[in-house]
Amino acid sequence: MPAKRSTKSFTATRNEAYVDTSALISFADRSDSYHPLFRRLFSDPPPLVTTPLVIAEGHGWFLKRYDPAKGLQFLSMTEAMPLEILPIGPAEQRAATTFLRKYSDQHLTLSDAVGLHIMASRKIRVCWSTDFRLGLSKVQLVIHQ
Amino acid sequence: MIRTQISLSEAEYEMAKAEAARLGISLAELLRRSLRNILPPDNQNPWMRYAGMVETGEQDASQKIDEIVYGHKK
Repeated sequence: MPAKRSTKSFTATRNEAYVDTSALISFADRSDSYHPLFRRLFSDPPPLVTTPLVIAEGHGWFLKRYDPAKGLQFLSMTEAMPLEILPIGPAEQRAATTFLRKYSDQHLTLSDAVGLHIMASRKIRVCWSTDFRLGLSKVQLVIHQ
Repeated sequence: MIRTQISLSEAEYEMAKAEAARLGISLAELLRRSLRNILPPDNQNPWMRYAGMVETGEQDASQKIDEIVYGHKK
């Protein structure tokens, strides 16, 4: 059976924010210059959404920089957080590919592009990220608020 | 205070006693402090115990994730 096209339209829950990998790393790394901001934001969060690609990137970062034990600790952190992890399938991948083509000069990753698609389709207005590329589609980055 | 009993290996016991002596506290206090570090400080926000769990020493660590995960362009 062919995968359905991503035609659903959502209205973001009030104050819903999209969480990018960089927000999770900044929260976990006390050296990061945005760590105090994300520590404060995560202490009293609005509804948060993210994707399995973000979790995979974060896990990969911990595997590369540290070891499998720290990778598992990162996964425990995301399990403890009030994060809604949205399912990503072929329809979302197709929509993300459209973003990759549109912004082909920006070195977006598939994870970034899926994030841009999720924010557009759910009408999310705030993105928790330190990566300016997540602001390409006019979503406000929380670091600029 | 609730009194409890735990079993440690000889090596763990010796290391814990040495660390307690170094800090000038009892072994029981050292174990209480260790436990407090592991348990969530706030039961309502258990994820906050992970805040600052690593220290890369890099102020821009969160902006260089792609370099680490995907590597530099050759």
